[in-house]
Amino acid sequence: MARALAVKVQEIFEEPGCDKNQGKSEKERKKGCTKQLAPGAAAGGCAFDGAKIALQPIVDVAHLVHGPIACEGNSWDNRHAASSGPQIYRTGFTTDIGELDVIYGGEKRLYRAIRQIIERCDPPAVFVYQTCVTALIGDDVEAVCKLASAKFGKPVIPVDAPGFAGIKNLGNKLAGEALLEHVIGTMEPETTTPYDINIIGEYNLSGELWQVKPLLDAMGVRILACISGDARYREVASSHRAKAAMMVCSKAMINVARKMDERYGIPYFEGSFYGIADTSDSLRGIARLLVRQGAPESLLARTESLVVAEEARAWARIEPYRERLAGKRVLLITGGVKSWSVVAALQEIGIEIVGTSVKKSTKEDKERIKQIMGDEAHMIEDMPPREMYRMLKEARADIMLSGGRSQFVALKAKMPWMDINQERHHAFAGYEGMVTLVHEIDRALVNPVWEQVRKPAPWDAAPVA
Amino acid sequence: MPQNAEEILDHAKLFREPEYAQMFENKKQQFEYGVPAERLQQIVEWTKSVDYKDKNFARDSLTVNPAKACQPLGAVFVANGFARTLGFVHGSQGCVAYYRSHFSRHFKEPTSCVSSSMTEDAAVFGGLNNMVDGLANALNLYKPEMIAVSTTCMAEVIGDDLNAFIKTAKEKGSVPAEFDVPFAHTPAFVGSHVTGYDNALLGVIRHFWDGKADTAPRLERVPDESINFIGGFDGFVVGNIPEIRRMLKLMDVENTVLCDPSDNWNTPTDGNFLMYDGGTTKQQVESAINAKATVVFQEFSALKTAKFIAEHGQEVVSLNHPMGVTGTDRFLMEVSRLTGKPIPAELELERGRLVDAIADSQAHLHGKRYALYGDPDLMLGLTQFLLELGAEPVHVLSTNGDADWAAKVQALFDASPMGKGCKVYPKRDLWHMRSLLYTEPVDFLIGNTYGKYLERDTKIPLIRLGFPIFDRHHYHRMPIWGYEGGLRVLVMLLDEYFEALDADTSGISTTDYSFDIIR
Repeated sequence: MARALAVKVQEIFEEPGCDKNQGKSEKERKKGCTKQLAPGAAAGGCAFDGAKIALQPIVDVAHLVHGPIACEGNSWDNRHAASSGPQIYRTGFTTDIGELDVIYGGEKRLYRAIRQIIERCDPPAVFVYQTCVTALIGDDVEAVCKLASAKFGKPVIPVDAPGFAGIKNLGNKLAGEALLEHVIGTMEPETTTPYDINIIGEYNLSGELWQVKPLLDAMGVRILACISGDARYREVASSHRAKAAMMVCSKAMINVARKMDERYGIPYFEGSFYGIADTSDSLRGIARLLVRQGAPESLLARTESLVVAEEARAWARIEPYRERLAGKRVLLITGGVKSWSVVAALQEIGIEIVGTSVKKSTKEDKERIKQIMGDEAHMIEDMPPREMYRMLKEARADIMLSGGRSQFVALKAKMPWMDINQERHHAFAGYEGMVTLVHEIDRALVNPVWEQVRKPAPWDAAPVA
Repeated sequence: MPQNAEEILDHAKLFREPEYAQMFENKKQQFEYGVPAERLQQIVEWTKSVDYKDKNFARDSLTVNPAKACQPLGAVFVANGFARTLGFVHGSQGCVAYYRSHFSRHFKEPTSCVSSSMTEDAAVFGGLNNMVDGLANALNLYKPEMIAVSTTCMAEVIGDDLNAFIKTAKEKGSVPAEFDVPFAHTPAFVGSHVTGYDNALLGVIRHFWDGKADTAPRLERVPDESINFIGGFDGFVVGNIPEIRRMLKLMDVENTVLCDPSDNWNTPTDGNFLMYDGGTTKQQVESAINAKATVVFQEFSALKTAKFIAEHGQEVVSLNHPMGVTGTDRFLMEVSRLTGKPIPAELELERGRLVDAIADSQAHLHGKRYALYGDPDLMLGLTQFLLELGAEPVHVLSTNGDADWAAKVQALFDASPMGKGCKVYPKRDLWHMRSLLYTEPVDFLIGNTYGKYLERDTKIPLIRLGFPIFDRHHYHRMPIWGYEGGLRVLVMLLDEYFEALDADTSGISTTDYSFDIIR
């Protein structure tokens, strides 16, 4: 690993904003906070993937992947991160390096690729992603970006997170480092208000940010920058002028939140927009933090009345489902913040949680789950598909909520399934999202195919006397 | 000049050129004196209203855009299903040209069939001479081993007696006395093409089983272990019959498909014109009387035939175009019950795969609203399959479906929570459907090619499942029966859903924020 990268990774491992990290001994900390991967066992995405998904939602820049085709080929526009305007972020740019590049180095090709993007598309910035192969052959992406920036008079941002650096979560953080180092604070907003906030770790998947934004609009709060859902380069670059920040996706970008607090005095809190109570808490948190930062106190009352009205409206819309869904048993296989925020949300309507996965959850996430669910018994650690299959068969749950990859295992275990990760087609954030979630669960549960899935072929059934 | 030799524009493009546009405009202004455009638009809008729908449904004499064809069409279908058999339609020749082009356009294959070409004098004096000459010519020209006679309206109106005519023709030597000429009266003013299928098939079976019009002894039934299969009038016959055969083979069930045109309408391009290919042989028809039972796949296509077979001592199981998981289960279990043979693991595997595929895609079709029209049994099968998918067959319409049929559809609705808001419309046409689509819109329409007018008017995407399909090629080659067929239909439904979704989200910089790679 290049020294610069090694230093950065070590720094991330020492993240003081992370309680889990601070709870460790010196020696443990040195080992790093990422779980060591077990060769031969199935694993999730790599650091490159983490970096790409964290930054790709910046919609008006070109995302250029420096590496062989596989990296961009597999990550190209696969997350449903929605844009309200520019679409260039969905174009697959890659240097697609070949054998000769591996021998002679790919830096020149990278430079020319950057030039061609700027000549043809003229985006406000180009993000360049390092990958395993180009890192191994020693391409100095940082230097090429620096040169290109100077030459073309346009920000060219190196994202130094090659896949071998570690897991996806580390990549999220390395992406955050790239923003901190090269983007945030490089531009100034046209105007500022006492109501400016940053939302960090929200990717606007399926347009979830848009379910929350009207609430903030109603409070009179302005999103100066969302990092990085539906973001424009200029917004991220001038985000250092926000008065407060909310961190959404658990620990994915905690380094960004913490360092922006340190450098620019932007306090942050962690919240979630999944679930009615959590959404309300988050809105209140934003208001409190802004008031503490000097916004007029009237914001608190305004927020409170909005919360009361919206909660009532959401409950009224959910009420018809309560009777149908109460007592239904749900199994959650997801990661991070959703492992507890969705739990609370579902419990609100009387659904029983059979278990929730904590593979990608932090220590705090687990603490919260314990609080919400009462014990640790239902926490599911990492499990291979066969284990999952066995558990599903025994779980006697009515439905599993999970991401796309677990779906297919669930199905074989005759388990009704609904997507709540990035490949889903419905937005579940905010009050609106909770109504949608409940509606979708209800729909999924009544689909006649589940009865079919659980029945043996009729000629295999024991003959009825 | 709108047209020049360097670049010849075809009709689709030519008349959009400004010169032509101007010409049409002038014609409209100076000569046509039509109603003002505004008024026209007003009326167009009115035809979409509930008020118009009520008037539309009060129609008692006029049929507009019927979703059915006539009896002889079904009879010609049947003739094509027997080995070296020529369809012979007694009546006017124009009708026969219709049947041939209808089938050729659907199956993309030549369809052999002749007419007795009755003219005015025949109408006055009766068509006997046409029958006598016609049978002789047909035999000499096309060398069939059997001629299956049916009738057009013309012959029916003047009351030509086929039995007597054929007898006389044989006496006069137009065809040898022992030559097989089964027949069926198939007036177009009664029933529809499925009735014609029934009558013609009955004609063939009766001919061989009941003593060849009193020229041979009646067959005595000596029961064996085989099963007869009757598919009914089916636009997907080319794909469906081989699929049924494959499934029955997997079950090791000896079987006779009574009426199998799947080879005749699926001949290879290898330098030989095959006027006759495949089909059920006479010997097979004869030995079919010994079968243990007959499975009729489409009840309303073979009501009389089923009765006739039952009267000859066989158990007859009539199904309603069973499709999908439950439908195919039903079919296989009936076969298993009749033969005592188990359903093999291969078929159970296919079943599991179809269930898996349905579950993989359930969220997308769940609660989607469908309007469908077509032949009575196809409607029953599709309705059951859609309900099984969690979709809602909101309007189920059949021009040739009667009250008995409607009751069966209603029973399917009643058995599923998805069927709650669904309604069945017997004896209605596509103009009724138009009103339904406007007043109670759906997500998708299922029907034959003629549904494209409805698609154009209402913008509701059409899924082509039915007969005829003229404007899409080769659908008929793929089975829609069995688990494999269920998969095919599932994919058709999903394709249209995703196409519609993509189209709806493809506006550049307007709606394409939801134009997604992963669906």
